[in-house]
Amino acid sequence: MRDVGVVSRHAGLARLSFSVWAVLIYLFLFAPIAVLVAFSFNANEYGTFPFTGWTMDWYRQVFADYQIKDALYTSLKVALEVTVISTVVGTAAAFPLVRSNLPFRSGIRIGMTLPIMIPGLLIGVSLLILMTSVFHFQLSPQTAVIGQAVYTTPFVVLLVAARLQGFDPALERAASDLGANTLNRLRHVVLPLIMPAILAGALFAFTLSLDEFIITLFLIGGHNTLPIYIYTQVKFGITPEVNALASLLLFASLLLLVIAFTLPIALRKMRFAYRARRA
Amino acid sequence: MSVTEGRLTRADLLKLGGAGALGLTLAGPAFGRPISQEATTMTMLTWSDHYANNQLAAVAKATGLRGRPTLFSDNADAYLKIKQTGSQFDVVSADGLWVPKYVKSGLTEPFDLSDLPVSKQLFSLARQFSFWKSGSNYMAYPFSWSTVQIYYNPKYVKTKPDSWQAILDKKYAGKISLENIPTDVMAIAGRATGAKKPYAMTSAQISRAKQWLKELKPNVLKLASQNNEVVRALADESAWIGITNLGTDDRVKDARGPVVKAAYPKEGTIGFIDSESIVKRSKHKDVWMKYINALEQAPWIAKNFITNGRPLFNEKAYKLLVNQGHGARARRLLYNKPELALKMTIKGPAGNQQAYIDAFNEVFGA
Amino acid sequence: MVEQQVATPPHALPPADVSAGRRGSRLSGLTQYAGFIPALLLYGLFFLAPFGLIVAYSFWQTIDYEVVHKWTVDNYRYFFSVPTYVRTMWATLWVSFAATAITLLMAFPLAYWLVRYVRKSLQGFFLVLVVVPFWTSYLLRVYAWLNILGEGGAINRFLQWTGVTEHPVSFFLYDRPAVILVLVYLYFPFAALTLYASLQKFDWNQYKAALDLGAPPRMALLRIVLPQMKAGMVTAVIFVFIPILGEYLTPQLVGGAKGVMIGNLVVNFFSGAQYTRGAAVSLLIAGLIVFLLLIVRKSLEVEDPYRA
Repeated sequence: MRDVGVVSRHAGLARLSFSVWAVLIYLFLFAPIAVLVAFSFNANEYGTFPFTGWTMDWYRQVFADYQIKDALYTSLKVALEVTVISTVVGTAAAFPLVRSNLPFRSGIRIGMTLPIMIPGLLIGVSLLILMTSVFHFQLSPQTAVIGQAVYTTPFVVLLVAARLQGFDPALERAASDLGANTLNRLRHVVLPLIMPAILAGALFAFTLSLDEFIITLFLIGGHNTLPIYIYTQVKFGITPEVNALASLLLFASLLLLVIAFTLPIALRKMRFAYRARRA
Repeated sequence: MSVTEGRLTRADLLKLGGAGALGLTLAGPAFGRPISQEATTMTMLTWSDHYANNQLAAVAKATGLRGRPTLFSDNADAYLKIKQTGSQFDVVSADGLWVPKYVKSGLTEPFDLSDLPVSKQLFSLARQFSFWKSGSNYMAYPFSWSTVQIYYNPKYVKTKPDSWQAILDKKYAGKISLENIPTDVMAIAGRATGAKKPYAMTSAQISRAKQWLKELKPNVLKLASQNNEVVRALADESAWIGITNLGTDDRVKDARGPVVKAAYPKEGTIGFIDSESIVKRSKHKDVWMKYINALEQAPWIAKNFITNGRPLFNEKAYKLLVNQGHGARARRLLYNKPELALKMTIKGPAGNQQAYIDAFNEVFGA
Repeated sequence: MVEQQVATPPHALPPADVSAGRRGSRLSGLTQYAGFIPALLLYGLFFLAPFGLIVAYSFWQTIDYEVVHKWTVDNYRYFFSVPTYVRTMWATLWVSFAATAITLLMAFPLAYWLVRYVRKSLQGFFLVLVVVPFWTSYLLRVYAWLNILGEGGAINRFLQWTGVTEHPVSFFLYDRPAVILVLVYLYFPFAALTLYASLQKFDWNQYKAALDLGAPPRMALLRIVLPQMKAGMVTAVIFVFIPILGEYLTPQLVGGAKGVMIGNLVVNFFSGAQYTRGAAVSLLIAGLIVFLLLIVRKSLEVEDPYRA
């Protein structure tokens, strides 16, 4: 592809301008986050310029603040429940999506991505009406779990279905030739092999849940998750403590996602090593 | 056989993982139990200037009662929220004449002030507001009060804007900040257009008020969700005019902002007297007293004054402030004259609440 | 018997075809759809039902904060009768359009750079780099911009420090440009990823052929590359434009009084317990989205990746 450049003139100039553009874009993408993290070390308690000095005080405050601990606990609890629900529901749904004789398959596929595309606001308000006016439930972390699960499940479906689609059917046929019934085939052949994708989906759902804000805001009632706590603080008065909390949340999300996407590779390497040893 | 063993391990991994997650979820409440045995959470529906984070932490440590605040701007929103959420909230803050409305609707309940030792620290007249009396009980614990007036930055605003009409001047396009409280903004608009009873306007008066608001809109920079946003806007000079509570000039100075001055509009203005109430369906009514008692102690109230600038009803705190050398500031801000609070047009629910909100929304779009 | 099994030559095995598989590598009849049941429960109850409720509510009335089941089109009539609301609706469409256009204009050169100038082995890395900011909390990304914009913020301090301006400039905050800027930032990775995927598939030999035949590179780009990118661009537009229609947090935090979008109106109605009006506006938004999706569904019809 790059030999195309030999043919056209001004190739060097074109290449340079595109590269400059790329650098600008990456700066644009990372600058706000860099500023956010930088301010978390700013001794200036108004959280803006000027930079009056470096300090870890705000991080220390974050770890001592019981309101943050409360919000963290709620966030984790909700995320765990959301992960369980969307992983189970999503994985189950991926099978017929890939393997059955489905009519309108592409329509159904688009339908499954609808919860992702529809603005979270609409999901939030419609569930609010359902919960309060029809079911007369109290708003609580449980109602927030339901709302988040609606949003995160399609991601799990997509991830698992992608893996399932690339699954070699010969393996299953071999198992069935050896006398395994459907349940055993599922348990001993399919699930273990798509496990990395399921785990990736679960971690993904977990991260999405931790970061989710809009749907949660409508459905969680008097409780706080970390994003909602941050939102409250942003309206209350920005101290760098919020920046510190935000930076920690950022770092945690990224870490989880790195794990989510390198885990399949790591597991596969482990499996090959295991099999090699056993062989 | 050995291969199956290997495969079983991974299937077991799935089972273990699923069981673990499920177990954790179910055990979640149990997880919390050791903590919750010592610490109950008191959810508060309130404004940001009713507490400080370190205050909540200290109260939690002393009493085991942890406050969890949810913020709101307009009393109307809070009223609806309490109506809809049952036992989710334990404490709700309310202004002036909203308090009786809450009680009448069965959303909050009155209590005996003498059950709260800290109530002795209040100015005596604060314990005797006629509109908060309910038999021998009291509907709410009095907290603070203030008029709502105009603060302006003399560097940019050359003529003192001492009337509501003055701030309509096109010079101030995009330079005014005020709190996003539809009911009260409409009341101010009513005052600006000559309504005698800003909270009981007729349709014609509402129309006129709406018209005034329409003219104000291009001058509005931002509708702030809490009053410290107004302070910040004045401090970083993105706003030249703020419509907000007493003490803003001190707060802007504390935020390293410019000098701002107060102007009292000649058409008159509104004011609030706010409070904390017991939510009737709260599950923690038995500890409400203990919580408020710890929260409302004089040292915290004194600190609250320094941070938020407007006067409060705790007399002991006033004495503390005088001892700390803030007496002049407190007197300038009328802290020692709580009787003036009763002279204000006190905030309350509008006669036709829906019409007020509609008019406001129709001007500001959201 | 053993010979029978072993003697079957490999090539006589049926081709890898899952959906037409024999010997029960798929379940038969209705049980094959069993996996859908949990999803149907979850989405039936908590996605479709609420949606139906919204439709119903939008045609009912709210009297004294209670929803009354009396049919009416008053909610819609009311919405269109208030000039501010209609203006907000147009403003939302305009902001979405502007943000989408800018996002695509910015993303396309980046995608092109990635496909054309970056070594294949490094492309994944740079792609992930684009996505990384996106995988942080939405709220945090908006909040990050609050730090930068604003009179006390970075841009203004910088401008004042370099002497370009004397007073803080409020253009950068609490108005529509700020909203558009932040929206572009939020949705950029969507566009970049989609455009990259589409550019990737393009057969560059056609481009080379055009150049060989004497076409200047720019014309080759316009006449050969872009038309084939149509599907990818439509997808990118959809993935950016539609979510922006429902935006509410960004305008609320950085939009000020002038940057209001229709999402803010919905939130306002629902916070004020005017469920029926809020439902009507929500339905308008949803209707617009469905309408747009229907228009472009032909372009969205990718070959079914799940078909064997």
